[in-house]
Amino acid sequence: MNNFLQAIDTLTIKFTLAAVLLPLLAFLINLVIPGKHNKITGWVSTLAILFSCVLSATIFSKVWNTGHLVHQQFAWFTVGETQAYVGVLLNNLSVLMLLLVNLIALPVHIYSMAYMKDDAGYNRYFSFLSFFCFSMLALVVVDNLVLFYIAWELVGFSSYLLIGFWFSRHKAVQANKKAFIMNRIGDIGLLTAILIIYATFHTFDINILFGDHSIIKAITVYNRGEWYSPLTGSFTIPGVSYHLDDIWQFVAFIGIFLAVAAKSAQFPLHTWLPDAMEGPTSVSALIHAATMVAAGVFLLGRVYPMFNGIELNILAIVGCFTAFMAATVALTQNDLKRILAYSTISQLGYMVMAMGIGAYSSSLFHLVTHAFFKCLLFLVAGIVIHQMAHIRDDNKLDIDPQNIQNMGGLRKKMPLTFIAALIGGLALIGLPFTSGYLSKDGILIQAFQWSQGKGWLFMLIPAFAILTTWLTAFYVIRLITKVFFGDLKLRERFPNIKLHIGDGGWRYAVPLLFLAAGSLFPVFSFNPFSYEHSWLYHGMFQTGATAGEGLFHVIVPVGVNIFSVLVIYAAYRIYAKQKTNPFSQTSMLYRLSANEWYFDEIYKKYIVVPVLAMGRATFRLDRRVIDGFIHSVAYAGMALAKAAMWTDRYIIDGFLNLIVAVVQSIGNFARRFQGGKVQYYIYSMLVVILVIFILTTLI
Amino acid sequence: MNILTLLIFTPILVAFVIAVLPSSWRAGFKYITLATTLVQLGMSIWIYTQFKNGASFAGVNHEGQFQFMQKLPWINLDLGAMGKMQIDYFVGIDGLSIALLVMTSLVLVIAALASWEIKSNLKGFFVLFLILDMAVIGVFCSLDFFLFYIFYELMLLPLYFLIGMWGGARREYAAIKFFLYTLFGSVFMLLVMIGLYLSVKDPVTGNHTFSMIQMMNPANYESGSVFSVLSHATILGMPARTVGFVVLFIAFAIKVPVVPLHTWLPDAHVEAPTPVSIILAGILLKIGGYGIIRICVGIFPEIAHADAYWLGMIGVISIIYGALNALAQQDLKRMIAYSSVSHMGFVLLGIASMTTEGLSGAVMQMVSHGFLSTMLFFLAGVIYNRVHDRGINHFRGLAAIMPKYTSFVVIAFFASLGLPGFSAFIGEAFSLTGAFKSPSVNGLLPYWMPVCGSVGILLGAAYFLWTLQRMFFGTLNLKGGSVWKTALADLNIREKLTLLPLALLTLVLGLMPSLVFGKINDSVVAFIQFLGSK
Amino acid sequence: MISLTDFLVVSAVLFCVGLYMIVSKQNAIQVLIGIELMLNGAILNMVAFSKYDRINNGGQMFALFAIVLAAATTAVALAIILNVYKQYKTIDPGSINKLGD
Repeated sequence: MNNFLQAIDTLTIKFTLAAVLLPLLAFLINLVIPGKHNKITGWVSTLAILFSCVLSATIFSKVWNTGHLVHQQFAWFTVGETQAYVGVLLNNLSVLMLLLVNLIALPVHIYSMAYMKDDAGYNRYFSFLSFFCFSMLALVVVDNLVLFYIAWELVGFSSYLLIGFWFSRHKAVQANKKAFIMNRIGDIGLLTAILIIYATFHTFDINILFGDHSIIKAITVYNRGEWYSPLTGSFTIPGVSYHLDDIWQFVAFIGIFLAVAAKSAQFPLHTWLPDAMEGPTSVSALIHAATMVAAGVFLLGRVYPMFNGIELNILAIVGCFTAFMAATVALTQNDLKRILAYSTISQLGYMVMAMGIGAYSSSLFHLVTHAFFKCLLFLVAGIVIHQMAHIRDDNKLDIDPQNIQNMGGLRKKMPLTFIAALIGGLALIGLPFTSGYLSKDGILIQAFQWSQGKGWLFMLIPAFAILTTWLTAFYVIRLITKVFFGDLKLRERFPNIKLHIGDGGWRYAVPLLFLAAGSLFPVFSFNPFSYEHSWLYHGMFQTGATAGEGLFHVIVPVGVNIFSVLVIYAAYRIYAKQKTNPFSQTSMLYRLSANEWYFDEIYKKYIVVPVLAMGRATFRLDRRVIDGFIHSVAYAGMALAKAAMWTDRYIIDGFLNLIVAVVQSIGNFARRFQGGKVQYYIYSMLVVILVIFILTTLI
Repeated sequence: MNILTLLIFTPILVAFVIAVLPSSWRAGFKYITLATTLVQLGMSIWIYTQFKNGASFAGVNHEGQFQFMQKLPWINLDLGAMGKMQIDYFVGIDGLSIALLVMTSLVLVIAALASWEIKSNLKGFFVLFLILDMAVIGVFCSLDFFLFYIFYELMLLPLYFLIGMWGGARREYAAIKFFLYTLFGSVFMLLVMIGLYLSVKDPVTGNHTFSMIQMMNPANYESGSVFSVLSHATILGMPARTVGFVVLFIAFAIKVPVVPLHTWLPDAHVEAPTPVSIILAGILLKIGGYGIIRICVGIFPEIAHADAYWLGMIGVISIIYGALNALAQQDLKRMIAYSSVSHMGFVLLGIASMTTEGLSGAVMQMVSHGFLSTMLFFLAGVIYNRVHDRGINHFRGLAAIMPKYTSFVVIAFFASLGLPGFSAFIGEAFSLTGAFKSPSVNGLLPYWMPVCGSVGILLGAAYFLWTLQRMFFGTLNLKGGSVWKTALADLNIREKLTLLPLALLTLVLGLMPSLVFGKINDSVVAFIQFLGSK
Repeated sequence: MISLTDFLVVSAVLFCVGLYMIVSKQNAIQVLIGIELMLNGAILNMVAFSKYDRINNGGQMFALFAIVLAAATTAVALAIILNVYKQYKTIDPGSINKLGD
């Protein structure tokens, strides 16, 4: 029996490896395929993801809810006594994510073949896309924190490449730099957290650390949240068990939090995501809506046991704030993709908040449903933008194809797209019969349950969460109304433009239909009103999480949705009139929202500029102080040398010269007596004799 | 014939040959040099494959465990009552040197390939190049302090002339600055070396000895001698061994370089011709790190242990200070030079942690930085050769006209900023791992140090990406206009052949770090045990 | 009574006059005359002191001998002067300085 299980496991592992490595293979193949615009590359990548998808479905069926953990690792390298492994860990969470990523990536690949068909960088696009898929798939299946970090950075890197795909656009390269650097903040947070965990527990293994019998769970229970190192190395001071200050446990949490905030665009590191919309829309759909940005939530899911109560509260507060803040910003944006980006941030805020309030399974449930409907909305946006760009190019206009103020009435020209947008939008709002209803209601209900009996301050979190839902309803309807209802606004300015637009071919239609189907309730639960009947919720359900029936199960969904419908109606009435700006643009709240709460300005003024100034200051320090010191030492040396030279010339040489001069003058004086004049000789002889005579007489 | 001896002295023989060849053959000199470095590379790879693993080959402080060892009496003087003066020709390698040795051989090949840009006085250039070649290889192989010192000083002379004669506009300034800085360090090193010689006696022959391995054993110190552990002698009121350690550390720290002893580096790099920049950044800096590990920490382990906090501190300061400086640069080469300061800070941090992870990370970081800085300087040289300008703001949108070049730049930049999958990530990550582990295994470094160090990784991303964005992306806009546009041709075959192995190597080392770790692990473990026993 | 002192005084005067002539005169002949005067001063001394040698009259003997010798040397000196004059067309000892270095 064991052998049989092992054989199955080995097969599963092989399948997993194949599923992860196929996109990598596609990436490598695409690298060597010649030409810049070779249709083969698109097919290579798509086929790779298709096979990967099939494989992951197989794996999913084998692992999901079997309660059996597939875990296998191989030694990678050894450093000192540390052994680093490459390994695969398959549990419910990872197989779900594996399947999800593939299910989202497949339609996006198909869509991309049409969307990017005229782009000069077609090959490059599909290479990068496959590389992203590889790193994202690796991220969800790896079994240790080192590999996790590697995959984590690689998804950031491929996101960098894809945001800056049109590298000659100034804004795109600004955006990808910003995205990477902000993600880097999260990366070093994650690295710090991983290394603190490693330094304390001496293992990188996710299963050992956070699994069912995790050491962190045990330690947290026994030591009231403080971490003790189970260290038994040859260098440990014997008899002293190493104790980690709780401040460092908190730092580890902050590290994880930064990582989540950066990847999942949570306050305060969310500002890169709206800018990341400079990339191709298909990329935004895959990376910046469905998969990569969800990696932060996935990380929370992986390391969930390490958080204590205060840390979970921080997560809840930040998630709730982000959800609310992003929703308010989305109200006033005019760029189609920017609205969707902020709604993504808002929904991710829900997920993080759900993690914080202990709604672990609802959070992951929302992650999955959100992936479908948000990807759908982005694909719709891509089609709309393409058609607007068509109008622009056909009529040689100078307009921004992403500005919703130019759109309107597209419902008639693009019926399929409209229906898809409607389904996606309603799922985003969370109306019944959509998948969004199931997952979002779960979060809201549990938020109320969580805040029960904790004081009114904690009530703010569910209150704001519900407020955000209504805001969401408003901006979604604003978006859909402005884009699809009424008449094309461009006609007001350019009455004579020709329109040759439509839904596009099967490569557009199939992904839309697929994702729209995924945004409806039957995929997740046969009961459209109860999230607790969803198979996904059950699969993720952790013991100890809040559960049970309650008043909230009735009040919350009914109340929320009735008011949502009112909001929807109001928004439709406001925007169906097609006034450009139905609200005052000068009020403070409007400006706060339109300027995205001034985060970019604040960061630029208080972080970017000071850091650059600090760089220049250190350089000046280098130049002036250190080099100045070196130079002054050099000058001092020179001065000393000059002094020595002077001494040499005037004192030491001077003394010698003096002696010479004295001797010379004596010689000259004596020479005079030998002028060859005999009489002189005699005279001097006489003088000498006289002198001697006188001297002898005197003495 | 000992393979190490052969490895060390092949270049000097070739240098003689080049020196006597008529100048009319000068077109061939570069091929001769390249062939020599390739032969050396072949020899080092052979050494690498023959290098034996296992605890019994760890080396470090056991003379018998060194490999490819050769020991010949070199200078023997009978000083009568003062005993015998004994200086040996003593070479050998262990895990600490093998990785650096192979890296050095490879970097020399690249430097030889980069020498194609040299157009004037070829004979002089290549003769000096080969002398330098001999000296750097000799440094990594020497086990006799005196021999080490000779090779160490021998490097200065060719470098001085290589910078001073073939360098840029301010070459004399840079050359003299470099020379004086390094000389300042090594002069005091000489004093400590002599002090050590007078303190240590070879237990076998009973003579004073320069052998580093004997110096590592406290039992070999004569009682009452200056540097004896037991005698507690003082110099100027400070413990003699502390003074010795600090002096040696300063000597090597100048080479590494650590803040604030680093200002020779940007000037020397900016002014030096590309091959010399490559050797400077790729090899010379590593000699500093190697010296700190084997000589400073090896000979004065208990001082290093006591001062580890300060070592780590200097490392962290270097990381952040270098990165901030790199952020402020307008000159591509200067930016790379400051990034070297930042990256070498990780080496110091790893050493200071005194853990196996940290030390392995430090060695890995040195090897990785050897390849990466070589690549970066070569890339900077490519653009400088084309238009004789390196101002970051003078270029924009280069990706449009030089796509292959840009790809290599992207690889080099991302590898340098520590993208996983490349070797620098392994080096930096394990230096930090060691530093993080240090509080729990030996309590030397506090936790905040690696946290601050990791900020350097963030700044690294900032300056590399900013440069990338400014120079390579956006719409094409060159300071030199259409003249530059025609001059800026994409990479040629030679350049591609140079860059490709480097890119592959850093990738391979990132994916299979065991290529390095496997060879150095035994020595590192032995070294840490040796430190731990203090 | 003429005492020994008187002789000595005359002799000293003679010597001094001779000496003065030697160092001051521009003419070699006059210098020669000065030498003769000094010589005669010395001879006079010898004769004067010979009162202490009444048996042998050594003083007088030497005086005679010196006179003869002086005559001879004077002859030689005059010959030299003659030759010098031939050579240099002058007999001023001041301008004949070839003996100098």
